[in-house]
Amino acid sequence: MRIVLLLLFSMFICSCDETQRDAVVFGLDNMPNNLDPRHATDAVSYRINRLIYSSIVDFDESARFVPGIASWQLLSPTQYRFTINGEHIFHNGDRLTSEDIKATYDSVLDEKQKSPHRSSVALIDEIKVIDSNTVDFILKYADPFFPGYLIIGILPKQLIDNNFDFTANPVGSGAFRYSGWGGVESLTLERIKDGQKFDFIRVVAPEVRAMKLIRGEIDILQNGLMPELVRYLRKQDNVKVEDFSGTDFAYIGFNMQDETLSNLKIRQAIAYSIDRDAILKYLFGGEEKKATAFFPADHWLGNHELIPYEYSPQKAQKILAGLGYSKQNPLLLSYKTSTNSFRLRVAAILQQQMKESWINIDIQSYDWGTFYGDIKKGNFQMYSLKWVGIKSPDIFEYVFHSKSVPRDESSKEKGNNGANRGRYNNPEVDRLIEKAKHESGLEESIAIYRKIEQLVFEDLPYVPLWYEGNFFATSNRISGYYLSPGGNFDGLINVQRKE
Amino acid sequence: MLRYIGIRFSGALFSIVGVACLVFLLIHLIPGDPVEIMLGESAKAADKIALTQKLGLDKSMSEQFVAYVKGVVTLDLGKSFYKNKPIVDLILERYPATIILALVSLVIALLIALPLGAIAATRKNTLADHGAMTFSLLGVSIPNFWMGQIMIIIFALGLGWFPVSGYSGFSSIVLPAITLGTALSAILARMVRSTLLEVLNEDYIRTARAKGLSESKVIYVHALRNALLPIITLVGLQLGTLLAGAVITEKVFSWPGIGLLAVEAIQKRDYPLVQACVLVISITYVGVNVFTDIVYAVIDPRIRRGSRD
Repeated sequence: MRIVLLLLFSMFICSCDETQRDAVVFGLDNMPNNLDPRHATDAVSYRINRLIYSSIVDFDESARFVPGIASWQLLSPTQYRFTINGEHIFHNGDRLTSEDIKATYDSVLDEKQKSPHRSSVALIDEIKVIDSNTVDFILKYADPFFPGYLIIGILPKQLIDNNFDFTANPVGSGAFRYSGWGGVESLTLERIKDGQKFDFIRVVAPEVRAMKLIRGEIDILQNGLMPELVRYLRKQDNVKVEDFSGTDFAYIGFNMQDETLSNLKIRQAIAYSIDRDAILKYLFGGEEKKATAFFPADHWLGNHELIPYEYSPQKAQKILAGLGYSKQNPLLLSYKTSTNSFRLRVAAILQQQMKESWINIDIQSYDWGTFYGDIKKGNFQMYSLKWVGIKSPDIFEYVFHSKSVPRDESSKEKGNNGANRGRYNNPEVDRLIEKAKHESGLEESIAIYRKIEQLVFEDLPYVPLWYEGNFFATSNRISGYYLSPGGNFDGLINVQRKE
Repeated sequence: MLRYIGIRFSGALFSIVGVACLVFLLIHLIPGDPVEIMLGESAKAADKIALTQKLGLDKSMSEQFVAYVKGVVTLDLGKSFYKNKPIVDLILERYPATIILALVSLVIALLIALPLGAIAATRKNTLADHGAMTFSLLGVSIPNFWMGQIMIIIFALGLGWFPVSGYSGFSSIVLPAITLGTALSAILARMVRSTLLEVLNEDYIRTARAKGLSESKVIYVHALRNALLPIITLVGLQLGTLLAGAVITEKVFSWPGIGLLAVEAIQKRDYPLVQACVLVISITYVGVNVFTDIVYAVIDPRIRRGSRD
């Protein structure tokens, strides 16, 4: 035993004080997987790449696309002229020109590159360099939302031509320069204006992330914590927590081909059986808002006229009684979800709430791959998920068009592969989606999308639940961090360490 | 002896080949598509097809299997789908962390278990025995995810002696190693106690005492040495398990070990990475077992002779 104590003591002596550091430390639940913006697919890579690279178009607070490093003019419905604003220098010292813009998008469009973003810009027919600051994008067909697709970070042409490995050594023209991987799960960036270093470290367990913040080993945390951990952090003297309303749309999806759920009345009864106010107040306790459609009412594509379903077990019971159900003979349904402990908790609450309305749900929880596979195959009655980072209205076609039913992986048929997992089919919605796509005026197409939102809301292939909020927590070592729209890390541009 | 080692190694090789084939089949059989998981909800069909081609997932299972076997034979384990890095680099990055944690935890476990088991055996049915066995029962019963967080709350947040988590410097290994070590020591201590109790009744122990040796010499030199065989079996198994990665402890302490890498690869259906991790883990496990067998033979001549019969 003495030996053990001696060992412990020597380890203690050896332990050095690690709170003496110059870098600002940002805690993540996942590291970015790809620092080449042409190939990055995960949210963390996108957020980090935004810091390293600049894009020609950006999004404002209401998710409307605005000029990034270039502003545009519509020369014709199929020709956009982009002009670079001011001077932008790559981290290797070269000046960013229209040649770099062309080279970046040509490279995304190059089939050999197999970029996962190719199809979003596949409507580009040709990119013409007019002069070093001006470039024209000529489209195959008109699309009023086109500028919103040009959000890929611009890379230097010369390096693209040399097949430079941007994943290993990113070179952009953003506010931060890549400084290196510091160990297995740590990335360091340097802020160009003052040389301040930022370490992005991965801490897998959310409880441990919170404890590291309290201990001062992490300076900033953003999202990814259970609501009770956020409440716990709020009570700490050395931690500042701020909440913001978000746009991540949580919903319950129905299988519209299911014998029971194909009945609109049943879906309405389910919508009435959920007490969203109670869940938002007691489970979340933040800035979450009840949802009616993909886009919140204050979003430029939002629809103010939609009123969320109220919580009314009486109305639900009345509907179900009319269909022959009763307290003794409740409606039985299965509900699929992932193994995420928070989603399971939500499922248990929904189960309890629906019981009041004579609906018994059987919760089936699977690991993500299995769950997602089942959802795609339509192998479910009800499931719950959320849509993250939806910015443009092409989501309507992807999710609600009858031709967007996911392709069966087991069959060799290369059909359309959308996310209409519930097999929703409304010819009027299909017609409006097609119409909006070919509408060249922005306001006209917005009006059509609002009409689609309304039709979908009436049909209830989804029960819209809520828009999940965002929060960040910072240690008292830093100041000036703010939450950017969409949960980006842009707040780091102005963050300051306190001396 | 050489023949004995040869037989053990050929058996081990057979196990590894079996594991390598089985893992390829199983990982491809479980539902879930890596492309879907990588691209997420809002990806377009054309992009998914492009990525499927890029990852080589459009090829038939047999073609993929041949490529995999070729890769294993030429020691080219390919690139991780998700991390887009050579798998050899990923494993080389992670394995040192796993080895260090395994060895330090095992040392801690032995340092606790040997004296604790010896005290319990020599003072059978006394307060010391009951105390040691209660400690051991607690060690077995407390799950590592809970123990780890309690250790963090007391020693990192409360006393501020060690960092909460991470892989930076010697101080960061203390809490994960103690968390793992105490759990292992609990089982080991019980084993030490029971085998020592058997040995302590043997004639040669009485002889040693009659020669006038000190009690500690009798216990630690004569008795413990003879009780080593079952203890080595257990230590070997524990070391094998530790080298396969201690997923829960790695997760709690953000320890970048191979266990967490493998589990995350499974969740993301990163086929080549799962295959490589399982291959490395099985080689380690089988290797440790072969090593344990050899140690048996060194310690106990009966085993060596048995192989010649």
